[in-house]
Parts: sequence; structure tokens; C-alpha cells
Amino acid sequence: MADRRAELERKKAKLQALREEKDRRRREKELKEVEEAASRTLLGGGGDRKELDELMREVGVAPISEVYSSISSANSLTPEPSRNHTPDTSLQPNSLPNNVTAIKRKIPQLTVVPVQSTNIPPKEIVLYTKQTQTTTSGHHDVRDAHATDYYVLTYDDGQEGEDEESSLPPHLGGYGGSKLPPGILPHGLPQVKEVQPAITALEQEQKKEDVKEIRELSEEEKQMIILSEDFQHFIDRAGRIMERALCESVDIYMDYTGSLGEDGLDEKSHQRISFQRNFFDERWSRNRTVTSLDWSPQFPELLLAAYNNNEESPNDPDGVVLIWNTKFKKATPEYVFHCQSAVLSATFARFHPNLILGGTYSGQIVLWDNRVQKRTPIQRTPLSASAHTHPVYCMSVVGTQNAHNLISISTDGRLCSWSLDMLGQPQEILELHRMQSKPVAVTCLDFPHSDVNNFVVGSEEGSAYSACRHGAKAGITDTYDGHQGPVTGISVNGVQGGIDFSHMFLTSSIDWTIKLWSLKDSKPIYSFEDNGDYVLDVKWSPTHPALFAAVDGSGRLDLWNLNQDTEVPAASINVEGNPALNKVSWTPNGLQVTVGDNQGKIWVYDVAESFAHPRHDEWNKFLYTTQELRNNQVDDELEKLNISMPNTSLSTMGSLSMTPLR
Amino acid sequence: MAQEVEETMKRIQSHKGIVGTIIVNSEGVPIKTTLDNTTTVQYAGLISSLADKARSVVRDLDPSNDLTFLRIRSKKHEIMVAPDKEFILIVVQNPVD
Repeated sequence: MADRRAELERKKAKLQALREEKDRRRREKELKEVEEAASRTLLGGGGDRKELDELMREVGVAPISEVYSSISSANSLTPEPSRNHTPDTSLQPNSLPNNVTAIKRKIPQLTVVPVQSTNIPPKEIVLYTKQTQTTTSGHHDVRDAHATDYYVLTYDDGQEGEDEESSLPPHLGGYGGSKLPPGILPHGLPQVKEVQPAITALEQEQKKEDVKEIRELSEEEKQMIILSEDFQHFIDRAGRIMERALCESVDIYMDYTGSLGEDGLDEKSHQRISFQRNFFDERWSRNRTVTSLDWSPQFPELLLAAYNNNEESPNDPDGVVLIWNTKFKKATPEYVFHCQSAVLSATFARFHPNLILGGTYSGQIVLWDNRVQKRTPIQRTPLSASAHTHPVYCMSVVGTQNAHNLISISTDGRLCSWSLDMLGQPQEILELHRMQSKPVAVTCLDFPHSDVNNFVVGSEEGSAYSACRHGAKAGITDTYDGHQGPVTGISVNGVQGGIDFSHMFLTSSIDWTIKLWSLKDSKPIYSFEDNGDYVLDVKWSPTHPALFAAVDGSGRLDLWNLNQDTEVPAASINVEGNPALNKVSWTPNGLQVTVGDNQGKIWVYDVAESFAHPRHDEWNKFLYTTQELRNNQVDDELEKLNISMPNTSLSTMGSLSMTPLR
Repeated sequence: MAQEVEETMKRIQSHKGIVGTIIVNSEGVPIKTTLDNTTTVQYAGLISSLADKARSVVRDLDPSNDLTFLRIRSKKHEIMVAPDKEFILIVVQNPVD
């Protein structure tokens, strides 16, 4: 900088000098012009340069040649940058003095010259930052990969021959073992292989940690968990599901192209009755007599069974009620309930799918709920004179969804009608008496289909009675004498169809007989006397009007079809081991018969469909059959009369005319 | 109540072809078992993680859905898993006909 300034100073000084010189020269010129004019005038205008120079020198002015040289040297000293920027400085107006002199000599022609201007825009430079994100990994030698991240193409060289063979027709495949000559690439498809993920050291560490996390629980902790309510719920639910799942023996790998199945099926289909399965629980039902069987109206596969006490284990509760499932093959009961007194009758509370009712030996009615994790009754009726004080052998829920009652009858002849909402006391009490306050020891009860008022009962005295709950003549209405021993079972024909047979009912008795009655007659229509033991129960089929099942003390289950034969049962089977069979029950669809014995087993038998389902003419046939049975009865009576009075044949005729024909 | 648990376990165990019954909690820790210790720990850990995975599959497919039962049929055994909120019941059986 300092150099530059110095140079500038110097130039300024020089310029100053030039300017001064210029002024002086102008003055000299003026002087000279004056002198010249004077000399011209003096010398006559003739003078050359030398003379001039001399003259000048005399005056003290440097000769012209010297001045020129000094000017050219000054011109060469003009600064460089100015020359760069404006190359034609000489053309500029404030030019140097020599130009001035030039102007003086020949006047220059000043014209406007269009200057070519080029506009060069500044170069635009766009700047931006670009980043790539990469995972930083400390270890470069291992890949951080997952199982499905990598697919690698590999040519399966090893199995190339096999591939060839399978893709080519066999006659071509035989050639040379189909090995390709060297140099020819296999033309099979490349195979995509999954490559095992590389396991990093980190992952391995994690795995180790996971393993470490599983610590063993102490016995106390385990016991705590086991006793928690959550666990109880879980085990109840999961155990149930698991048992059902375990019993599913469906072979999903069944191959029908293979050998034929057992040919036992054909044999079975010819049988009218065949054993299906039995229900037995070692802990709860062993040595207990089955006292009652009922089917759930909501879940047709659920079978309710009540059991008497087990004399061999006095510590167990006397009364047991089990719910069995016929749908699943599991051999254990769905629910177990018990109470202190032996349960003699049990029924599903028809309009409450969760409630189960039991009539006990003590006279209490007990109520269980399967929603509660409790095996003991959640409610029971009081043991007081206002309710039952004698064993309750029969119960039934009658009515409709909105108006229904539980009817229970104890052996002292007291009928109680209960509302399920209030088991504190019965809504109604009715004493069943026959002939002047002699109580009826009721052993069995049945209501005709959808009847809530009229019903029939069997008694220990051997009589059956019809009775009604309401009206002026509430109580026993009719007596049906005929049996010689206590009545064990009673059943009203409940099949719906063209002809109503709800006045027909059957009774079974200890006197080895089953009797068919009509409510309209005080004498039995027919007596079935094929059994050689106590007949302990009888039930009409729910679908076939002329079909009924009966069980006896010798282990025999009989199916009678009155339209086929009235002398002998249509089908008969002896239960294995010949236990005394106490109860019989049909499934609601009429295709199965269940039998309860005195050892705690329930036997399920399939009834052939052709046998269980009625043909459309069965109703008319049954009407005809009953008519015939009545006629036979009259003939029998006639015969008896003939035998008792052989001598008075005429009087027999008279008696016949007196007896009204039925 | 603990008696009922025993009863249920015994009932399941009494079925034909049952190899073992294990109850594990949600963390895969065995609570009750009828198998030996090493097998139990192995089954408990593996099956509980499988059940978790299966549950997440079911729930991912339909969030309103849930896993209720899992059966694994292999050549040798059948493993039945009844998962619950907090516990898992595992039963291993030999399929018999």
C-alpha cells in the first residue's frame, strides 16, 4: 500500500509539473505569437525552426524538440490500470497536453460510437447439503440381519440331476443319468433360499438374559397363585375346555381310499336299540342310586341326574346332583352339586337356564346355580310346617315364561307351589287326601303336556290318582285302583299329533306290572305283565304315540310299541351286570333312552330312527289298538264270569247285558 | 379350592395317552406340572412365547378377536394349549385312536 501511495504521490507531482509547464507554455506561446507577429512583421515572416529554437533559448524556454521528448516520456508513465479499463484514453476529452497540441494541429472529429456492451449475468451457484443415513455399527464383520431380510439366489447344483428327472419325461431322463456335460449351465430355475440370520453377539447376550429371567417360584408363591380366585376361574374354564378337547377323538387324518372301516356298523343299524355310552364318576356317583333324570330345555345335550346317598362313604354329602354332557365324549360331569340330604328328585328350572332344583329326603327344596363357583345350594326352603317335612319324591316346573311355578309333593300328600323368586315360603299349599283325610303318599307325579292345573300321581298304596290344583274341587278328583304294590312311575302320553292321547297314562309298580290307563276309566285298559321283577319306571316316548320305555329291577330295559305288539316288548336289552334300573328317560328328540341304575351308572342307548320316529298313521293305529285292548278286556271279563258261574249260563248273558259296553 | 385344582389336573391326567399337564403363568413360569423339571421349563418357555405370538397374530388380524385355544399336532405328540388372561394350560398327549 505504501508503495502505491508513494507512486500516486509521484504521479500527482508529475501532473502538477505538467500542468505548470502547460500554463507556462501557453503563456510562452502567447508571447511567441506576439513575438512572431512582431518578428514576422520584422523579418517578413521568414524564419526556420533553428532560428526559433535559438530565439526560445534566448528567452529561456526549452526548444520544442526537447519538450516533445519530455511529453512522450511522461505519456509512457501514465498508470497501467487506467489504460486497461479504457483502452482508447487518447480519445477521451481530458487527454494529455500533447493531444491538446494535436487538437490544435488537426481538429479531431468527435462522434458518438456505439459501445458494444455485453451483459454477463453472475453465475448462480446453488448450494445444498446431502446426507445419507447409515446405521453405525461398531462391528463390521457381522451382519445385523433378520430371518426374512435376506434372500439369496443359489443354483441348486447338488440336486440338479433330480430336478432334471422330475421335469423331463421319463424316457429322456434315462439318458446318461441326465448329467449335464461340463460347461453347460443347468437350466433349472434358480432357487430362492432363506439365509439363516447371522446371530450377533448382542442377540446372544439378550437370549441369555431371557433365560435368566425365568426364575422358579417358591412353593408358597405357587400355593398363593393356586389359591387366588383368578386361578380358580382359569382352571375351571380351561380344564373344562381341555377335557372336551381331549375327548374329541375325530381322526382328521382319515383316509377313505384305504381299507374299509369296521363292519360292526351294519349290525348295529339292524338293532332297534343299541348301547352308546355310560356316565359314571368314581368319586361322586359310585354306589349311589340314580333317583331322577332330567334334560335341559335350553341345552338339549345336558342331562341332569340326582343321586341318593352312598352308604359306603358316610363322610361324603348324602345328596349329589351331576350334570352330564352327551354332546362331548368326556367322561366327567360338567357340573357337580351336592347337599346334606339325599336328593330324590331334581329338575332344571325350566325358564332359568342356570338354576337347578332338587327335592330332598329331608323335605327341603334346594337350588343350585352353575354360575356360582359353589357346589352347595345357594338357596333352600325352610324346614318348617309351612312347607314339606317329608321326603319330596317328585317335582315339576309348570307354566309359562312369565307365570310359572315349581310344584313339589312330599310323601305326606302335601303339594306346595313355589315361586322361584321366593323360596322362603310356598305360594300355595294343597293337601292331597283320599276318602276322608287319609293322606296320599305320593311317589310320582306327571303333568299332561302344557297343563298347569290337572295332573296324575302314583302312590305307595298302589293307586294312581288324578288331581287338580285349582277350582272348587282342588285336590284328588279320581282314583285308579289296580296295582297290588306301590306305584313307582307314572307317565302321561305327551305326543302332539292328529289325535290327542293326553288322557292316556302308564303306571309301573312293584307288583311286576305296567298298566295303561285312561283318565276316563277307573279300570286299567291293559296290564303289561312281561316283567319278572319290580318295574321301577316307565316313560312314554316324546315323539311316538304308541312307544314307551320301561325298566325293571333285573336290569332289563324294554321298549314297547303298542302298534306292533302288546304281549311282548318290541325291543328289549339287558344292561350289563344286571343292576336294578331305577329311572328311565328319553332325550327330547326321542332318539335316545337313558337309564339310571342303583350303582350310580347312567346308561345311554340309541334307539333306531325307524323305530323311534312314528309314521303318520301311528295315531290312528294307536286309537284302533286301544279300542281292541278294551274289547279284549270285555271278553276277558266275560270269560271270567263264565268260569266263575259255569252252571248259570243264562245269568251270564244277563250280566253281560247289564255291563255297559265300552 | 386347591382340591378342585388337583381334581381337575387328575381328571385330565387320567385320559388315555396324556404325557403331561403344565400350568404356567403369563411370564412363562410353571406353576403346576406333572412332568420333570427340565421338560417343564422347556415347554413352559417355548409354549408361552408361541401362545403370545399366536395371540398377537389373531389380534392383529382382527383387534376384536382373541385366541382361545391352540392345538399343535406333530408326528409324535399333540400339544393342546388353553391360554387365558393370566395363565396357560398346556396338555401334551400322544394321539391314540
